[in-house]
Amino acid sequence: MKLFRTTYRVWGAAAVIAAASVSFAGTGRLTRQSSSASLPPLLQAMQEELQRSVDAYGKADPPGYFISYTTTDLHAAEVSGSNGALLTSAETRDRVLEVQTRVGSYQLDSTHKIEGREPAWSSPGTEVTLDDDIALLHREIWRETDRQYRAAVQAYIGVQTSNEVQSRSAEQAAPDFSHEEPHVSISRPVDFQLDRTPWEERIRKYTAAFSASPSVINSIATFTASSANQYLVNSDGSRIVFGQIRYRLELFVQGKAPDGMDLQRYANFDWVDPAKAPSDETVMDQVRILTAQIVALEKAPLVEPFAGPTLLTGRAAAVFFHEVLGHRLEGFRQKDVSEGQTFTSKINQQILPDFITVRDDPTTHDVNGQVLLGYYPFDDEGIPSQNVTLVDHGILKNFLMGRSPLVDFPHSNSHGRRQLGFQPIARMGNTIVQSNKTMSNAALRKLFIDEIRKQNKPFGLLIDDIAGGFTFTGRAQPQAFQVQPLIVYKVYPDGRPDEIVRGVNIVGTPLISITKIIATGDTPEVFNGYCGAESGSVPVSAVAPEILISEMEVSKKETSTDTPPILPPPAHDPQSRTKQ
Amino acid sequence: MNSRFINRLGSVLITLAAVCAFALPASAQDDNDHTLQAMQDEMNRSIARLQLDSQQKPYYIQYRICDIDVRAVTASFGTLFSSTHTRDRVMLVDVRVGDNKLDSSDFVSQNGFQGSSSNAGEVGIDRDYNSLRQDLWQATDFAYKGALVDYANKQAFLNSLSRPPEIPDFSPEPALVDVEPLVPADWTSRNWEDEAREASKVLRGFPDLYGTRVHYYIVYTTYYFLNSEGTKLRISHSNAGIEASLDTQATDGMPLHNFYADYSATPSGLPHPADVSKSLVQAAQQLEALRTAPNMEDYEGPVLFDAPAASSLLAQALEPSLSGARPPLSSVPAYDQMIQQEGGSSEWTGRINQRVLPLDVSLIDDPGAKDFQGQPLLGGYAIDDEGVRAERVSVVENGILKNLLMSRRPGPDFMLSNGHGRSALPILSLPTPVSSNLFFQATNTVAPSDLRKKFLDLCRADGQKWCLEIKRMDNPALASQSQQDFSDILSGIAQGLSSGGRLPLLVYRVSVDDGHEELVRGAHINGLNIRAFRTIAGIGSDFSVYNFMQAGAQGFAGTALDTFGSVTDGIPSSIVAPSLLFEDVEVRGYHGEPRRLPLLPIPALP
Repeated sequence: MKLFRTTYRVWGAAAVIAAASVSFAGTGRLTRQSSSASLPPLLQAMQEELQRSVDAYGKADPPGYFISYTTTDLHAAEVSGSNGALLTSAETRDRVLEVQTRVGSYQLDSTHKIEGREPAWSSPGTEVTLDDDIALLHREIWRETDRQYRAAVQAYIGVQTSNEVQSRSAEQAAPDFSHEEPHVSISRPVDFQLDRTPWEERIRKYTAAFSASPSVINSIATFTASSANQYLVNSDGSRIVFGQIRYRLELFVQGKAPDGMDLQRYANFDWVDPAKAPSDETVMDQVRILTAQIVALEKAPLVEPFAGPTLLTGRAAAVFFHEVLGHRLEGFRQKDVSEGQTFTSKINQQILPDFITVRDDPTTHDVNGQVLLGYYPFDDEGIPSQNVTLVDHGILKNFLMGRSPLVDFPHSNSHGRRQLGFQPIARMGNTIVQSNKTMSNAALRKLFIDEIRKQNKPFGLLIDDIAGGFTFTGRAQPQAFQVQPLIVYKVYPDGRPDEIVRGVNIVGTPLISITKIIATGDTPEVFNGYCGAESGSVPVSAVAPEILISEMEVSKKETSTDTPPILPPPAHDPQSRTKQ
Repeated sequence: MNSRFINRLGSVLITLAAVCAFALPASAQDDNDHTLQAMQDEMNRSIARLQLDSQQKPYYIQYRICDIDVRAVTASFGTLFSSTHTRDRVMLVDVRVGDNKLDSSDFVSQNGFQGSSSNAGEVGIDRDYNSLRQDLWQATDFAYKGALVDYANKQAFLNSLSRPPEIPDFSPEPALVDVEPLVPADWTSRNWEDEAREASKVLRGFPDLYGTRVHYYIVYTTYYFLNSEGTKLRISHSNAGIEASLDTQATDGMPLHNFYADYSATPSGLPHPADVSKSLVQAAQQLEALRTAPNMEDYEGPVLFDAPAASSLLAQALEPSLSGARPPLSSVPAYDQMIQQEGGSSEWTGRINQRVLPLDVSLIDDPGAKDFQGQPLLGGYAIDDEGVRAERVSVVENGILKNLLMSRRPGPDFMLSNGHGRSALPILSLPTPVSSNLFFQATNTVAPSDLRKKFLDLCRADGQKWCLEIKRMDNPALASQSQQDFSDILSGIAQGLSSGGRLPLLVYRVSVDDGHEELVRGAHINGLNIRAFRTIAGIGSDFSVYNFMQAGAQGFAGTALDTFGSVTDGIPSSIVAPSLLFEDVEVRGYHGEPRRLPLLPIPALP
């Protein structure tokens, strides 16, 4: 069974437009570009209408100093199932136009975040025709441009008023928009061909396999294929066309402990080359592992409060770094007084042990043969992707930047990203944690045991899986800072087998924990997921080796209070006559 | 036409016949549909063994499943916007504890049951046995625990009242079995993408039309119902519709829109592109005329509603009051007030045998009617969503309120269902009484020309130079192209929702002197609530058949925002009504903010 959820298409609330005369000083750079007859019709229409709009809105009162159009041509297929049966099998094609107009100036414009209030993102997305009808595309773009301009004017008036009455922090003196060079890159569109029938059979098989265990209450498997071709033109002179194809298989299974705690396990496979789809056997192995974990968790005791040595496997460490460090290095947060701003003033200071380097590198397709979901050739503001060193041997060097500058970081480093329908802001891509102090995972575990003994603790904790702002696509929850260990073992120094525990809650400041890294393993592991934050859900990856932390503090998590089902599952009820 | 007794007898006969048919083993398995078997087995197990500790067992369990198969194509100005085909199955489980007089149902509180599952969700579409049993198991468990909590909260609340209500919670009804053959979805050999493109192309010829959307929808459903009293249903339906929206701005910036809709029970009945084009052209021409029409000034006086407008108006105005079911109880203090403000409560409950309409007017709801004077009626059905046979209901006889539409939820006036409990797709909300085919009939009518004469006479007597004639009412659910447009409409009329605010679309000033007409724009009506229909100055001998999709949801009830839905989420309904003349109606002009026109001229569509 799949619970009802609202579809994640955000149109936003309408802005009531009021006429206002605003005196305006300063102009943006609105450049002319020549139209090319050999461009794809969609791009041609966008280009021509952009020119018309730039000429008109650039002279309006107040002037629009920057305009960009992004049209995303989407082809998506989904095959999902639950408890042995198919839930959906469908394909869709959409074209979505996003128009951004900025009113004001690079220094202060309509997107400026007003203190204490959410930014007035008006609805930047609208459906346009699938047919390449240039005249109609002009019409649709014209309509949306005027809408967005009016909304920007409205927002700008609010910004100006607020600017006069509110005091400003140092970082808020930073401009609202960066100057960037234009880029031109036209690639051929991509697409996929898919026969959904074999996937329908596989989805049924995997979820039926979960139902074979009496500990499983519910399961859902989802296969998605998506091709997104992005067309971007803006008044800087950029013209960019590129496409990406992604395939994903997600497994989700649910159980319940006797005390009512919900038990959920999840696994995902991601690939971009159709030939690299996971084999049936690989997936079934994962089904067995997840089921075994549910069964083990059902019997596992709750963790006791603990502070001591903790080993994170590569995947857990990857998520941990993403949640605890990555989000705090997003550029726009440094401007916002309502954010923690933990690192705003710490550039060139030591924030991690000196053997740890953290990069965010969307230029990389894969690591050790594993695909990285956060690869992109251009970010969503049209900036070619860059490999950014965030922390160099423990020293903070950079923030993740989109086109919203900071006082000391006046330019984008190609991390302006968004889910369709949202305004781009700085987000992660492929967050890669590297270490100079490595040893084999086996040696690291020995060191871990030594540390447990050294600190005179009865045991240490091994964390194998963490949930955070990463979720699977069907349930995007934009809570970027939640860190919830899901698979945790007590590791005894006396050689006893590791013992699974449940209900672990990390307390204290996770940031302190990453300063207490003693050493790392030597094998990078990849976690691919969809990260939810203010600009919606975007595909990302995090890569990290195993990490040993000298001290992490955990407590018992609150459990849900509804009891497990009264009757056994129908297929596992000795008293009930059921069909095969 | 049938008395209640004959209906009950009839349903018993059907029950016997269907039971006999179902007992033949071959037919049950031929279609490879294991749905009812899975439902029956899980139901049996739950009734026998579902009990938490020493708590009470359920006294009633109900399973509802609906397969929904939708083909949707959207075109604009001759080009394709989207083309999809989706198949879903939704499940809704209802468990009650207590008894018919007092049970756990229909109680809204802030302390509801919190659990990680649900009694409703999307489930497997394979019509297999195993997955459905597993889903029903989870949902029944959740629904049962929720019922225990709700019952306890409800009892506590009722104990706190000095005079708790004495109306029973659930009516006793006979079991009914109707398992019909599966009807496979048939999209026909018509190419819907081509038709949508072709039909919408003609609108390119209107240079001032900003945007249009022409939607083709075909919906096939199979509804399964099983309860612990022995009622068992499998019933298939189909519905098809073409729904279009058109929008522009007047020269002073006022946003304007129009709509077109045509429905058929089967896709083969949908009109062909040439006919759709004709209707779209008509809608576009009306919109063009509105563009240059003057803004109307505030007005109070006689208003003539032509039959097409009158039927739409009546649908909106009467709908919420036709229901005799008691609204949910609530321990949340503001809840009742909220329902009232949104116009969600019935104004006719408690008024049985009082005059609610003019003395010569009757109002009949007839689910068995198929057509009227050669025009098909869309609202017919045989068995409602609670498994009760649909009855013809004589709501108003000679102006006096005699009956209300009932589901299995009793109300202050009636204790038994008359088969009107239904809910709208795709979410199976709990069924509430809604109309089927509504007939507004009068004996004291005048020919349309005489009605018009009376209209002008009243106008003159009222000292007016001109009065208003309304030829078409608005339908914002269909006319809004985007969420933004819908929000604009909402903000414009929010205040009038519960006090009889109505949205007309084509309004004409008619000169008293020579009867000439002039289209005006920006009008909205105030205060035309159901009480206003007690006094109608004149009723025509003409009629209009209005087939529409009725939205089943709460909130904004009684206005065009709530009454109307789309074929994908509405209940097919119809109303037959004549022209209506009112002596004193308040119609206001547009007093909103002036809107700017787009900076650039509209790009042409060759």
